[in-house]
Amino acid sequence: MSTKTEYEKPIPLKNGDNQPYWDAADQHELKLQKCAACRSFIHPPGPACPTCGNPETEWELLGSDISATVYSYVVSYRPFLPGFQHDLPTIITVASLDAAPEVKLMANIINCDAKTVKIGMPLKMTWVDITEDRALPQWVSAKE
Amino acid sequence: MATYSNQCAIVGVGENKRSRKSGATPLHMALTAARNALADAGLEANDLDGIMNYSTGGDSCPSHELATFLGCHPKYVKDVSGGGSSTELLIADAVALIEAGMLNTVLIYRSMNGSSGHQVGRGYDPNMLQEMLPGGSFLMPYGTASPTQWFGMFATRHMQQTGITKEHLGHVCISFYEHAQRNPDAFLHGKPLDMETYLATPDISSPFNIHDCCVELDEANAIIVTSAANAKNCKSKPVFIAGMAPRTTHSNVHYWTQVDEVASDYAAAELYRSAGVKPEDIQVAAIYDCFSWVVLRQLEAYGFAKRGEVGDFVAAGNLKMGGLLPSNTAGGMLSEGYTHGMNNVLELVRQLRHDYKETNRQVKNCELGIATGWAGPDMAGAMILRN
Ligand SMILES: [Zn+2]
Repeated sequence: MSTKTEYEKPIPLKNGDNQPYWDAADQHELKLQKCAACRSFIHPPGPACPTCGNPETEWELLGSDISATVYSYVVSYRPFLPGFQHDLPTIITVASLDAAPEVKLMANIINCDAKTVKIGMPLKMTWVDITEDRALPQWVSAKE
Repeated sequence: MATYSNQCAIVGVGENKRSRKSGATPLHMALTAARNALADAGLEANDLDGIMNYSTGGDSCPSHELATFLGCHPKYVKDVSGGGSSTELLIADAVALIEAGMLNTVLIYRSMNGSSGHQVGRGYDPNMLQEMLPGGSFLMPYGTASPTQWFGMFATRHMQQTGITKEHLGHVCISFYEHAQRNPDAFLHGKPLDMETYLATPDISSPFNIHDCCVELDEANAIIVTSAANAKNCKSKPVFIAGMAPRTTHSNVHYWTQVDEVASDYAAAELYRSAGVKPEDIQVAAIYDCFSWVVLRQLEAYGFAKRGEVGDFVAAGNLKMGGLLPSNTAGGMLSEGYTHGMNNVLELVRQLRHDYKETNRQVKNCELGIATGWAGPDMAGAMILRN
């Protein structure tokens, strides 16, 4: 039994389409689905490529050094799901990857004063261990 | 103009009394709304050969059940899952079926205990949401479960890029609340809003405070569509369906990674072409207003103000009575009630029939109106009505 406080927020559910993404996240790595035909990244992952409809897809490991910029964001002052009452206000961003700006990853910006968030702000990916075997990708300000 | 233009008309509208706690089932409320729409049109239940409705997460009653207790057996019933823009899209379906000669007269309704029953974006099991919503496992772990957050992501960037301020959002709210003060059936009748109060209200989720969000209520609305020929035998003044346009954009249903365009941007051109009119011809509007910013974004999309000038357009009072585009004149979803857009369409029909003639609620001499539906940034349905 874990002695850690129980994690109250929703834990990402793995399924046939997204498992490689979340398995990599558990290893503190970013892995993205890619179309075998048109080479577009596919995020969130799915059964085919939304750009061209091709069903053959593969996975590309981008590693653990992931930088991005804030494309847009919201700051929520109420919890809409369990567990977030402990983390108000909650900053949610859609961030554009520096390595592939067309790919935008949604996550919270953690350890950040909501008043300092701006579109274009540089971010770095971090992984938070939420249970013994699961980790959640998050963003932190790259300025620290 | 499209071939179907002005060949069908809305001949009846009706609702039940909206409240925070109806104490009634969606079936009971839908029956009241349907009977009121039939009485408005001067029709009997047996005149209906089609009944359609939309619902979200099974919050309504099936059309067949409504037919049962209206005491009729229509040829055709249809229940779709949908919210914003479903009113316009089901009216489009009705027009197509009438024009194809399959049906004569169709009743479309929306009934929901949106306050005392289940509320959009609240009270669901998070794991069920992860499985139910496409991309859900990429949203829920980050606390992203509410339309305020999904649409807010579009609003933040759009506001920054086009110079829209919190005050501009406030002008939308204040304009619609002002309409509600003339409508005794509006939920926020008797509760006017001023800018000082608006700006002092803390955000729920940026950039939206409680006033920027629609009022969730228990409510049912109904609309009856028939052919222009049948409309001549109805009691009411017909309001003709001049043009329509549906549109989807974006990959994925909730995990939107591109917030710089919305479906309404693409629906607009087809809409005006189908009706053979231009934005400047429109005299009264029903703009989908689940959130204040959604109104501003659609004013831009449908060509009522240029990108970058939408804030000034609403600040100048153009959504109010006497403005260039009196909009949501019963108070809209921000202050009258919320049936995913149908209540706004009911009001547009009443304005175009001049039901409020000789009162301060009537938009003077209005002949042409627009109703815009917004299921989300990714899905639009709009129509142009004329009297
Ligand atoms: Zn492809």
